[in-house]
Amino acid sequence: MKQIAITLELPEIEDLDKHGDKEATAEASLDCVKKQIHDGKSQMGKENSVEFGLIIDGKSLTFAMDNTLVNDFMDLAMGCATVICCRSSLKQKAVITRLVKSVVSRTTLAIGDGANDVGMLQEADIGVGISGVEGMRAVMASDFAIAQFRFLERLLLVHGHWCYRRISMMICYFFYKNITFGFTLFWFEAYTSFSGQPAYNDWYMSSYNVFFTSLPVIALGVFDHDVSARLCMKYPLLYQEGVQNLLFNWVLILGWMFNGLLSSIIIYLLTANSITGQAFRKDGQVADYSILGVTMYTCVVWTVNCQMALSINYFTWIQHLFIWGSIALWYIFLVVYGSIPSTLSTTAYKVLVEACAPSILYWLTTLLVISALLPLLSYRAFQIRFRPMEHDRIQIQRRRSESLERDVAQSRLSESSETRNSSDLPAEVRIRIDSLKASSRRKNS
Amino acid sequence: MSETNSDRQRRGDRESAFYLFTQQRLPACKPVLTPPWVITIYFLVGFIFVPVGLFTLRASHSVVEIEERYDIECVPSQFRNDKVSYIQDDSVPKNCSLLFKVDKYMKAPIYIYYQLENYYQNHRRYVRSRSDQQLLHGRNFHGTSYCQPLESSNNRPIVPCGLIAWSLFNDTFTFIRGKALLKVNRTNIAWKSDRDHKFGKNVYPFNFQNGTWIGGGKLNPRIPLSNQEDLIVWMRISALPSFRKLYGRIEEDLDVGDYVVVQLMNDYNTYSFGGKKKLVLSTSNWLGGKNDFLGLAYVFVGSSSLTVAIVFMLLHLRSQR
Repeated sequence: MKQIAITLELPEIEDLDKHGDKEATAEASLDCVKKQIHDGKSQMGKENSVEFGLIIDGKSLTFAMDNTLVNDFMDLAMGCATVICCRSSLKQKAVITRLVKSVVSRTTLAIGDGANDVGMLQEADIGVGISGVEGMRAVMASDFAIAQFRFLERLLLVHGHWCYRRISMMICYFFYKNITFGFTLFWFEAYTSFSGQPAYNDWYMSSYNVFFTSLPVIALGVFDHDVSARLCMKYPLLYQEGVQNLLFNWVLILGWMFNGLLSSIIIYLLTANSITGQAFRKDGQVADYSILGVTMYTCVVWTVNCQMALSINYFTWIQHLFIWGSIALWYIFLVVYGSIPSTLSTTAYKVLVEACAPSILYWLTTLLVISALLPLLSYRAFQIRFRPMEHDRIQIQRRRSESLERDVAQSRLSESSETRNSSDLPAEVRIRIDSLKASSRRKNS
Repeated sequence: MSETNSDRQRRGDRESAFYLFTQQRLPACKPVLTPPWVITIYFLVGFIFVPVGLFTLRASHSVVEIEERYDIECVPSQFRNDKVSYIQDDSVPKNCSLLFKVDKYMKAPIYIYYQLENYYQNHRRYVRSRSDQQLLHGRNFHGTSYCQPLESSNNRPIVPCGLIAWSLFNDTFTFIRGKALLKVNRTNIAWKSDRDHKFGKNVYPFNFQNGTWIGGGKLNPRIPLSNQEDLIVWMRISALPSFRKLYGRIEEDLDVGDYVVVQLMNDYNTYSFGGKKKLVLSTSNWLGGKNDFLGLAYVFVGSSSLTVAIVFMLLHLRSQR
């Protein structure tokens, strides 16, 4: 890496300073800084395969921030791989951060531990404060607080990646589950001459987002890991998924919405055509409005929760409890609500206990809801096999290395695959890492 | 180096449930959708669904169902052009007879349904137009505003109020096989919970169908609502515009070649809105009535799952080489 230094500790400036003429000193300093910036820029222009580092001190920074020079200075700074502004004041730190934010439309992160970093921390998009020797002032002004500087690596690579994936998955899934639910209502409307009669009892609709589908989303948004912490640190290029916004683009969002639409169509057609019309039980009884509502709602709750089970990669007892518990809660709710006197429970009175549970057709229709899951399963299966994303590759790699470890342990060899470093990565992962590096470099230039 | 007490305590803390929870290090299962798993899942789905589908189809085919539409045939030829005035004219006799030919052996009990089409019982205004409190407690209950405009007539409350009760289906059917009348069991056709808990044992029809507009059948004011099974069956709102409702049960077997003559009274007006009326005789089995859809759906999903499994396996093996 080559250095470009911009400094005012030159003999002629110091001479002028000694003479005490403030105006002349300022003018000369400005010219000097201007010259150094232009020299630096031309040097950069000549050799563009080399990486540059810029070093500038606090005094020169004041002149570099001058209106006439600031654009040139920012061009020079943005072209360098690293910029060091030493001995800068609190205000300069904040101003630099603000300038970077305005020139480059990227997310900025500031980290600091002292009171002189507060301005910078608040100015940046993300402020990370270090608590410790210099007190808690930086922590109080920050968005994230860590105890040691080295924890920044874990904060970014592990928690940054996890949070990105969790939030993007959660938003897409939220759209999906509400579209599935809402569109079944819409398809039913077509058969009520669009009079506005909902397919479900009022209380079913109110409790959909509260009781039966909220806990799994919380399990996804708070607890999901796609790749373990150790592997996140080992493969830092995984972080590029967030930088390049690969998990939350329009294609994915619209894809999930389309999946919701498809699920709702499948659920509606299945239940409406199998349950209604003929008798649905051995005793010749016919399915009425309340039974169609219960069957469709059961299918929706099953589909939506099983899609969640298909989408997450990390099953602890919490996920199992939340997902299967939500489904069980629906049946419990039906029993409880159905036992309230009929003047309050209207169409839900004893609907599960008396009408639906003895009907084998009801349970068979619920089982057929698996067909609503097959589109997503197929998409994921084909995507993981033929066009895997970064985290998919790493998961498959881990799976292979885990089975390899088991074989190694069984044959009692001392060699362990833990000692692999990145040069032992398979060819495909290496090629992918190189292409990601190239694309990020292209984006930076 | 041996562990000190504080080391041991710290290690104990590290393994406590709370620590594992907050540090997100809970024991977990991390499934990955590798090709062997995908192929297994698809084959499993296929091998379970196709037999279930075939089994269900067989059950559906074993149900015998005879259906006859009668609303057009039962209109005398001189009224064919103006069916609405025919149905509204009380002086025209409304009896009609239908012939059912039994092609396959039908085992008792045989269920009799009347089927209506293009009848939106699930319209929002219609569904609202009832008072559950009044059905349970009787005419002293005053919260019947949803029944408007059929809440009261001639300043006296209507029991049961509302559009649903007012539009009660009133075609009647008698079944004759050969020379003998077939006995039709018209009790126990409504849901037990409706009879016991939704319709009052002390509530009697009052001032019912007394107004200028008559929407359907009349009710015997001496029978309490909990025993008026036709009303109870009718007031169970149907799901879709084309629906069947249970009329009664024939408790005898019908043999192949039997002819059943149905004498019916064509009283109910479906002509004003282009509705259809049909009469259905059907047996039932463990699955219910005759409907091929579920069986076909299972077979379709199962076979497409098998197809996807095979395609995936071939693509996987081909690209591995």
